Amino acid sequence: MTTHVRDTVSVIHGPKGCSHHNISLLHATGLENDRISIPELVSTGLAETDIIFGGEESLRRTLESAACRNVRAIYVLSTCIIDTIGDDVGGICAGDFRVPVIPIPTAGFLGGTFQDGVNNALIAIAATAPESGKTYGVNIIGERNLEYEVEENYREIHRILTLLGLEINTRFVHTTSVDQISLLGAGRLNILREPGLAPVGEYLRQRFGTPYIASFPLGLSGTLSFIDSVARACGVDGRRVAEEERSLQDEILDGFSDLRDAPVVFDQTPTDPESVRAAEEAAGMLRLKIGNFQDSTPLPAAPSVGTYGVKRMLHRWRRAIHA
Amino acid sequence: MPECTNPLWPCAMTGAAACLAGFEGMSVVIHGSSGCYYYPATLLHAPLHGTFILEHEVIFGSEERLLEVVSGLSGKGKKIAVITTCVPALLGEDIRSMLENYDVILVDSPGFAGDVETGYRKALAALPVQVNPDTPGVNIDGVSLFDPYSSGNVQEVRRLLTAASIPVATVFCQDRFSRISASAACTVGTNRDFASGVGECCGETLGLAAVRATFCRLGNLFPGADISPVLAEADLQEERIIRVCDKYLQRYDPPSVVIAAGFSYARFAAETLEQYLDADIRGICSRNPPEETRYPAEHVTGMGQVRELIASRDPDLVIGSSFERSVSPGRVFTGMTPPLRGEVRIAPRPLAGINGTLSFVEQVLNALLDTRPD
Repeated sequence: MTTHVRDTVSVIHGPKGCSHHNISLLHATGLENDRISIPELVSTGLAETDIIFGGEESLRRTLESAACRNVRAIYVLSTCIIDTIGDDVGGICAGDFRVPVIPIPTAGFLGGTFQDGVNNALIAIAATAPESGKTYGVNIIGERNLEYEVEENYREIHRILTLLGLEINTRFVHTTSVDQISLLGAGRLNILREPGLAPVGEYLRQRFGTPYIASFPLGLSGTLSFIDSVARACGVDGRRVAEEERSLQDEILDGFSDLRDAPVVFDQTPTDPESVRAAEEAAGMLRLKIGNFQDSTPLPAAPSVGTYGVKRMLHRWRRAIHA
Repeated sequence: MPECTNPLWPCAMTGAAACLAGFEGMSVVIHGSSGCYYYPATLLHAPLHGTFILEHEVIFGSEERLLEVVSGLSGKGKKIAVITTCVPALLGEDIRSMLENYDVILVDSPGFAGDVETGYRKALAALPVQVNPDTPGVNIDGVSLFDPYSSGNVQEVRRLLTAASIPVATVFCQDRFSRISASAACTVGTNRDFASGVGECCGETLGLAAVRATFCRLGNLFPGADISPVLAEADLQEERIIRVCDKYLQRYDPPSVVIAAGFSYARFAAETLEQYLDADIRGICSRNPPEETRYPAEHVTGMGQVRELIASRDPDLVIGSSFERSVSPGRVFTGMTPPLRGEVRIAPRPLAGINGTLSFVEQVLNALLDTRPD
């Protein structure tokens, strides 16, 4: 999350290897999303002696060095070992480094799950945004920046909001500038990427009074419900948009009528129940034969955001069925 | 150790996993957090197990969790190896005692102990390797799951040894685990950065000169060997390399080059390009501490250093990982070093052996020619 805030630097307080893990992953997912540049992750580079005698001096030195770069803020992420040895990260970050230094309680597995780290980062970054009057725009909160189809999912939400006559206020955070973060409180509605971001949604509601929708839409009926929820939350009439969307969905399903009666079974290993529900719904509408028959084709029940997400999933189904 | 912007090389724990997970018949357990498990699991594409310890284990001890995982794996006919990560190493628990009722190889290789090569060596040192003078043939070493060329290297060196009628004994580290207890007395290397130290080193296989020297030595050591097919092939293929490189030089100036890789591969690349293309080797950004060399070589650990070095040496050609590619816009780039993101690589490609040199020269020339003006 923090590497998606432009003009800032993220410091990972721990051994070099922890930063390498992160940068390698960010680099890989960035390239898959056509981002050639690599974000700056600075490691405090702790070695065995720092672990024994404490890493606070290394952190202080790294922050002084990072502050000399032309950055608007420094985020400090702690690793497992830092919480184990008990470095006072907050105390060091409270020093005067001439730019805001924002510690984010991550601490690897001691800081909780991946989702906890995402939530902690978003809340810490949100705390830097000032209060402001509302605009007509909608905030997108907590996009999965490591997701292969992150841009396609964003475009689908953007499409739906445009149909409703709404604008995006800020993407919090996805290649976002510090100035755009300062607009966070001006959003009239927050749309969270997934329900796990509820603590962030609640924080923003309390801080800025902004209501939120708990998730991007999954599946066909989920998209229609989403249109209704957004329209209601923003006080616009969404009935015509919902009708047009339903027609679009019918048209898409017609285009896959050749799959009718195909025996299929869902590969449910990596997916969440909502994705499976959305997949089963689409399969039902296409009248596929779901079950563990001898000739059943295993299909991915991939998370499919919006109507066009379902369409992409149906193409993958067709490829699998015709393989 | 000073701070480091975008560290380029994985930690010792990953190196240990890259060594151990190369053996069939071994269950490798990463004793640490899910994050420490996730990275080697995705990088090495090998089955790994994890203890996935949480705060509870840090406070109350990790014994129960570790035993749960190890007991679940034991009795299944596989040797179990446990690699400790930073936090368990720091907690000071007596993990060896915890596991005394199990036949387990314990590798203390926390990330803060060093880089990937350190961990690889620590893991190798913990293995019950035995040299059996009666085992025929030679071992192949320098093989690591971390290395994108390892499978290709093994295939190529096997091919050459077979052509010379020399059996292959144990491959370190990409073999059945049981074979490490009957390793041969001689070893040929594919990558000195990951040398095993098992048996007597009979030479390396990076570059045609090394291939010739190594097979001549093997020819003397193995009376039944016939190295003539290998030497003949080396001569034939070298002529082809000379021909294509000469053709390139007829039209273009030699490239100036910066190479970013583990030292062993970097030196191979430098020597090859200097020999056949008269290349100007402007710098080696060695991922590990470099050995003595006539080339300007530095131990480079972070992206900031790489960016500065490439900018200051201003090469035509950059050879390295996709990290280097990202800071080399407008320069010719070809990949040799992990990570190589943003490109599809599924075929086993060698750097070692005769085909390794052919493949490397071909790759470099194609990269150079692709970006020349018409």
